[in-house]
Amino acid sequence: MVDMSQTVALLAPEIVLFVASMLVAVLGLSRSTGIRSLVPWVCVAALVGSILALEAVWTPERIQGARLLFPMLGKYGKALIALIGIGLVAVSAGSIDRRYEEAVARGRASFDALRVVRGEYYAFLLLSLTGAMLVMSAPDLIWLFLGLELVSLPTYIMVAVARTGRRSMEAAMKYFFLGALATAVTLYGFAMLYGATGTMQLIPMRDALAEQAAGAGLSTTALLGTILTVLGLCFKLAAVPMHFYAPDVYEGAPLPVTAFLSFTPKIAGFSALITVLGTVGWSGHAMVDHDGVRIAYEGLPQPITAVLWMVAALTMLLGNIGGILQTSLKRTLAYSSIANSGYMLVGVIVGPKGGIGAMYLFMLGYGVMTVATFGVLAALERKGEEVDSFESLAGLRASHPGLAFLLTLSALSLLGVPPLFGALAKIVLVFVAFEGGQASLAAVLLLNTAIGAVYYLRFVGAAVVNPTNAKSQEVVVVPHWWPKTAAVVAGLGLIVLPAFLSRLVDASATTVDGYVDLGEAVASDEQR
Amino acid sequence: MIAAPAMLSSVLALAEGPLDAHAAPELRWAGLALLLPLISGVLCLLCGWMKVRSKLPAALTIAALGGAFATILRLQGAVGETPVVINLFDWISWTWGDGSRFHGFTANVDLYIDRLTVFWMLFVTGLGTLIALYASEYMESDVGKGYTRFFGAVSIFLFAMGCLVMGGNLVMLYLGWEGVGLASYLLIGYYFTKPEAVAAAKKAFIVNRIGDLGLALALFLIWQCYGTVEYAALWKAIEAAPASSEWTAQAIPWLLMLGAFGKSAQLPLYVWLPDAMEGPTPVSALIHAATMVTAGVYLIARMFPLFIVNPDALAAVAWVGGLTALLAATIGMAQYDMKRIWAYSTISQLGYMFLGLGVGTTFGASYHVFTHAFFKALLFLTAGAVMHGFAGQLDIRKLSGLLKVPGFRLVSLLAVLGCFWLAAFPFTAAFFSKDEILVSAFTAKDERVHVLGWIGLVVAALTAYYTFRVGFRVFFGPVKYEPGDEHHGHDDHQDHGHDHGHAHGSHGASAAHGGHGHHGEFHPHGPRWAIRVPLVLIAVGAMLAGWPSYRTMLNHGEPNWVKTQVAQSSAYQGVAAESHGSHDDHAAAPTAAEGEHAHADHGHLVLGMDAHTAVGRLGSLACIAGILVSLYLHLINRGAADALRRTLMGSIATRWIVVGAERKWLVDEFYDWVIRLPLRLVANILSAIDELLLDAGIVNGIGALPAAFGRLFRPLYGGVVQGYAVTMAGGVALVAAWVIWIWLRGAN
Repeated sequence: MVDMSQTVALLAPEIVLFVASMLVAVLGLSRSTGIRSLVPWVCVAALVGSILALEAVWTPERIQGARLLFPMLGKYGKALIALIGIGLVAVSAGSIDRRYEEAVARGRASFDALRVVRGEYYAFLLLSLTGAMLVMSAPDLIWLFLGLELVSLPTYIMVAVARTGRRSMEAAMKYFFLGALATAVTLYGFAMLYGATGTMQLIPMRDALAEQAAGAGLSTTALLGTILTVLGLCFKLAAVPMHFYAPDVYEGAPLPVTAFLSFTPKIAGFSALITVLGTVGWSGHAMVDHDGVRIAYEGLPQPITAVLWMVAALTMLLGNIGGILQTSLKRTLAYSSIANSGYMLVGVIVGPKGGIGAMYLFMLGYGVMTVATFGVLAALERKGEEVDSFESLAGLRASHPGLAFLLTLSALSLLGVPPLFGALAKIVLVFVAFEGGQASLAAVLLLNTAIGAVYYLRFVGAAVVNPTNAKSQEVVVVPHWWPKTAAVVAGLGLIVLPAFLSRLVDASATTVDGYVDLGEAVASDEQR
Repeated sequence: MIAAPAMLSSVLALAEGPLDAHAAPELRWAGLALLLPLISGVLCLLCGWMKVRSKLPAALTIAALGGAFATILRLQGAVGETPVVINLFDWISWTWGDGSRFHGFTANVDLYIDRLTVFWMLFVTGLGTLIALYASEYMESDVGKGYTRFFGAVSIFLFAMGCLVMGGNLVMLYLGWEGVGLASYLLIGYYFTKPEAVAAAKKAFIVNRIGDLGLALALFLIWQCYGTVEYAALWKAIEAAPASSEWTAQAIPWLLMLGAFGKSAQLPLYVWLPDAMEGPTPVSALIHAATMVTAGVYLIARMFPLFIVNPDALAAVAWVGGLTALLAATIGMAQYDMKRIWAYSTISQLGYMFLGLGVGTTFGASYHVFTHAFFKALLFLTAGAVMHGFAGQLDIRKLSGLLKVPGFRLVSLLAVLGCFWLAAFPFTAAFFSKDEILVSAFTAKDERVHVLGWIGLVVAALTAYYTFRVGFRVFFGPVKYEPGDEHHGHDDHQDHGHDHGHAHGSHGASAAHGGHGHHGEFHPHGPRWAIRVPLVLIAVGAMLAGWPSYRTMLNHGEPNWVKTQVAQSSAYQGVAAESHGSHDDHAAAPTAAEGEHAHADHGHLVLGMDAHTAVGRLGSLACIAGILVSLYLHLINRGAADALRRTLMGSIATRWIVVGAERKWLVDEFYDWVIRLPLRLVANILSAIDELLLDAGIVNGIGALPAAFGRLFRPLYGGVVQGYAVTMAGGVALVAAWVIWIWLRGAN
């Protein structure tokens, strides 16, 4: 019998965030400017609190009671979400409601609780992060599904709420409609998995599938169910064939929301992906040849590997090629986000023997780079509007050398220039791909890194090389220290984190600690 | 290759004992030698940020470097005969597969401390501190932005040099190697508004890249052949399989050599060093004379176990060293810029060190590094003091009799002393270290290098000549000088006008400085204490550098201190058996093998004398002859030098000598034509291809693909959400159909 209180205690980080989200929703409506400006601080405090809570409650006994497929995933993953979440809050702070707040401060407008969105925005942000955390401790498909929805639903609104204007409305509409479609695909996959195994619980499902694998192989329903789930989740990752929305939505959304979209749904999607793939397993599968002889092989079942291989390769390729000719910074970064999902999928294909750890290491790097890049962009504005073209960045080195340096740093890190952290994370990923027998995919990854150079270097070129032009002359720094600080801290992280590479590799490898792969599940079954 | 089996056994015989490193966590404080310069570098950065306009950055740097020096001094007492490995923190430590050898890669932030490390760091940090003190005055006209930039880069240099020398594995060595390269680039290009300085910085960086490529490849191959890049484990691996005949193993010393030649300015990569003199003079003294350029010598000495098993590679090192020494000396004879002459002499002296390495005397090479560091730093710093005082004047034709100029007596005296040391005047420090190298060259077992001993003697004479050419011209003779054309010392100030006012006000020497601005009458101003004190201390150091040899001479048989240092390190791995160096001092544990060779070496007679006696006498003779010629041509009858030049120029047969030497044997031009021009051509062609074909065709074409694809489906969407939905659903359907078609069809 599961001790309910223990399971609830495991959710302490989520509970902290949830309570905080209710709190900021109210605080954001306060008449006092001081209290309203407290809102980002409350968010940061809540995120720090959730990390502390995580450290306190994540004990081995509790985890055993929770019966998770990846029992230690939450320990690293939730901390990562909260950590990058702090950066994303900092990127948002200062730009949400800024003009209205300024008008209020100057007495040009009187405060009207109906016209501010600050409270809702941060509440949704925290709720979405809560959802991402919940995904990581899902014991069954229902929980997993609800977690995923909790990630997405607030983001649909965040795209629309934070800015008035047709484009963000349109983006929100598209995002919502296509998201619903993808969710339907995922749900269909879940249903088929349930049909194939007769259970929603992940561990029994893994055991049922292990039995199938040891026998005649996975049933068609199970395979199709997994594949549909994977494809549905591709929406969260912004991976092929569900990537179409990304450029439009990223461009239409306000800049901080774009930053949020490029990280939170991604980490939630990847966690859900490995959770579902964990039931299918990266070992214990066999091929039956014409003579009826079983030939065992390592890795996911072949059809799933084939689909994922294709998805990964196409995601990398279409992402990087799509980025080449863009003029909008956010659109370029959308394609960059697509391409990076492709890189991380390589780790997923390799599986628990290093691959998933490498994927989460890369996720850390990607999160830090996202905060750094968007932090710089959020710190700039032109005529009260976001900066969203390479042209506007021209001559940044002369006007704001520090920001130009940080942007260069994060672009080079995204591109993968050693010794920056992004490069090392990518090297680790390539390395595990080679070791895990995915040399061809590693080659595709390296090739794509080279293609990506075309647009990542445009950031550097625009900011450092190009001379100031009429458009970029009007670019000024926003009068808020939050985004700048986020960029500085994240930029420093890119330089400093490589010094702790081994430790981070070890830490990210703990995500699969305690996971019992299909092959081992079969073996322990036979022993019994 | 003939003697390979004998050497093999000697390596095996000696491998036990001295190289068995043990962990020494109690010595973690040694990390301060790295940490302090790093901290001062970061603080200088902060100073730059906060726009500090005082000498604070200098004070920070001097304090940090002094602290590092003190740390090394303490380490000198704490480290015994066996090497220790000090783990500072874990950086990279991976294993894969079964985790056995070749299935793991470890590169932690470790320090590998043996006697050689401490020896090297002693003069690096010691000289670093003194030169930083010197620079605090020398650079004062730049107080503000430039000042912090300068000291920040010096701090970073010392940090990187520490990584290079003290690092416990080749990855740290490589990072330090690149770090000192970066610092060197930043400091050569310090006057970045001056096109020559920018060009020189780029040249240094690019030429070094060629060497660095060699080092990087060597590093990869070492890992591939021996399965580790950590010194402690590497020596064990080499011990187990000393001379693999695989081409990869054979290539390692050659690639390491390439790296060393780049950093230490040897043929064919020496061309960057003379141009590097565009940097501020303290930098020339510290980085481009005393410390960084010896990194190549350190590299080969440290990796000597890999060289000793490859006689061909050693012979190549010796030949490159000998020829570089000769070539640089001939160029040095015909230059007129004081700093450039010292630069060529640095290259020439580095050539001696490589000659020493190549003939197997790591002791001689290290000893020469040590003695050279002091006197060459002294020569550069005195040149800097002259430059500082005479508004950037360095032309030896326009300076004369400085010994009699008030305020410059001390500087001149020290410079003349430096000349004696550089010329290796009998019984000065360099005399002994050079002697060690030349004796080894004459007595080397490899007969291919014996002729280098004679070349070395010729170079000794040339060195004495060109050294005293400067000495006699500049410091003796009638007092005559023309100031340089730089109004404020030698600095380039476009935006620092107000800095000057500030600087003058603060140190109260505005009268002396102000003189520069007016061309009416020029008053050279002598240096103050912050320049004088380091000069005197370095001169004392240069004098004391000969101390180990004096002691050996006085108490016959007492081991040379430097030799004991080098002997207890990887640099002596297998050397004792190979060595035929000086026989007065058997520092290394005398083995049976060494005894035998010692007998054999006495068989090497040079001009009928024992090699040691012969080299001592011939070396003295060469030195004194060079000085006498110089004395006549450049002091007693200065007209004769010009007459000689005219005579040589007059005849077609001899004209090329003068023109060649003065124009540096046209090596730069040769490289321009043979390397730069073809590269430029290829680059232009590739650029044209890139623009015409790749950019226009492939990149834009591929980039336009999604758009074209989009147009194809425009009827479907074009930003309309239903279109996306159909595409997504279609994609899912396509994948599902594909999977069913390929796999699930026959699965039933």
